[in-house]
Amino acid sequence: MRTLILGLVLFCTGVSVAFGLRIVVLYPAASPVLRALGVPDGEVVGVTRHDRTYPRAVRVGSHLRPNLELIRALRPDLLVVGSRRAFPEEAARRFKARIFRYDPRTLEEILARIEALGEVLGRRREAEDLVASLRKKLAEVKPLPRPVTVVYEVSATPLKVAGSRSIVNDIIRVAGGRNLVAVPRKHVLISPERILALAPEVYIYQVGPMNRNPLPPKRRPYFRALKSRVLRVRELEFARPGLNAFSATIKLNRFFLTLQK
Amino acid sequence: MGSSLSPGRDLDNRRFFSATGVLGLLWVGVFVLSLSRGAVSVDLFHPDELGRRILLEVRLPRVLLASFSGGALALSGLYFQYVMQNPLADSFTTGASASAALGAVLALLAAGEKALLPASVAGALLGLLAVLRIASLRGRLLPVTMLLAGIVVNTFASAAISLLKFLADESVASVVFWLMGGFQNADYFRAGLLALTGGLALAYGMARAPALDLTAFDEETALSSGVPLYRLRRELLFLGALLTAASVAFSGIIGFVGLIVPHLLRLAGFLRASALVPLTFLFGASFMMTADLLARTLLPQGQELPVGVLTSALGGLFFLYLLARRKRDLYEMD
Repeated sequence: MRTLILGLVLFCTGVSVAFGLRIVVLYPAASPVLRALGVPDGEVVGVTRHDRTYPRAVRVGSHLRPNLELIRALRPDLLVVGSRRAFPEEAARRFKARIFRYDPRTLEEILARIEALGEVLGRRREAEDLVASLRKKLAEVKPLPRPVTVVYEVSATPLKVAGSRSIVNDIIRVAGGRNLVAVPRKHVLISPERILALAPEVYIYQVGPMNRNPLPPKRRPYFRALKSRVLRVRELEFARPGLNAFSATIKLNRFFLTLQK
Repeated sequence: MGSSLSPGRDLDNRRFFSATGVLGLLWVGVFVLSLSRGAVSVDLFHPDELGRRILLEVRLPRVLLASFSGGALALSGLYFQYVMQNPLADSFTTGASASAALGAVLALLAAGEKALLPASVAGALLGLLAVLRIASLRGRLLPVTMLLAGIVVNTFASAAISLLKFLADESVASVVFWLMGGFQNADYFRAGLLALTGGLALAYGMARAPALDLTAFDEETALSSGVPLYRLRRELLFLGALLTAASVAFSGIIGFVGLIVPHLLRLAGFLRASALVPLTFLFGASFMMTADLLARTLLPQGQELPVGVLTSALGGLFFLYLLARRKRDLYEMD
């Protein structure tokens, strides 16, 4: 029965995109980029479990554990995937489809990947327009007299913070801050006493899939001595290297400005 | 007078007091070192305001929690070994750790951190109940069946945790933390509760030391000497599970401590329960403080390693050594 339903879904999807690309997006942050480039619903035939940008697409598992069988059944022409860790080369070699890696770590890299994606999709002009609008948005960032020192909490249990290889690091930098945790990793398992010693002006903690229902930092026993201003943000807005990263930068810049007034 | 009647016991007592002194000094040394070393340099004697707060609010509760967790896990391992009459039993092999962790992970994903302790205790007790039910025959507990049942419960709980890890998707880091252990979330309440549980279990073991020694013989000898063997086993199982559950709820699964510590003490010649019980607690406490000290100082810039990774690595190496050195004994070869 399930096979029949799946077959029907695939058939319908196949018919609707008979003349377009068949794209499977395995990195959720890339979907809004495709949408902004004007890729229609029918062309994105597969997305990951929690991706809501293309509601008619088939769910093909999570971005860390995609269902390769299901993806193959979708007969994609293009796979938009994340890092080599999330989608290794061995997995990529199983498909005849073109593989596009979308794994930016800075705002500039996001812009570069958008342009590259525009080339691949044959939507160069749309990509240039999108990049131009995002650059315009970034121009709203106002300079600060001096950088605000920041620590960004990825998860409370265990206590993990953003290192210098995280998109958050660049959002903070462009917004006029400085991530005090300069460890060259994406996430850093860190001692609470180190955070106290770093004494950041702003302690940002995200709430989302990686940090469900965390206690506010100052209510945790080990952070009673924390004197920082605490800012709660949405993980999906800050920690995903997509279009959201630009609005997150503007928001953070405004917050920093209010601090230094 | 007594000494002329039982010179062996006098020698044992002297050895016990010497060992207590040495392990006590070791505990104090590691405790002071653990307080003085960490992600941040703090002058223990003249700390500034920040240093004082780090010491009192972060490091001291953490060191205490590590110490009591180590003592509790080592003692639970020893109690499980008495119950199963097998030196390879501990909270890992009896399934207590994994079932407590399953409770903790369920609580973490469904209800948040406040439900951790009750869920871990419930998980450990349910696991224990399953083991007891499988290993009971007409009111008697069968040690070998119990060990096998423990392994089955452990396997089942581990599989359930793996499924939760799969379903947890991006929350997987929190689940993994519970599987690798750590003392980041320490506070005085948690340390105090573990100290209380550990203290009660320690007092119980000391009070029942003669009976524990008799359980080392065969069942008939223990029963004919008036030891309420089956009740004793149930009480020891309950205490072992409680110690494991409290430790897992606060610091995740930390393996091998319950196996290594009693084993090392037996190798050093401490076989009587009156010596083995307190020394196990003391040694377990020092061992865990050392592991935590390494976990939070080996990497630069305040980065940490999961403590369970270190204890498992040490435990694995230790067993490799034992297997290499004692394989003849193990397989009774000439």
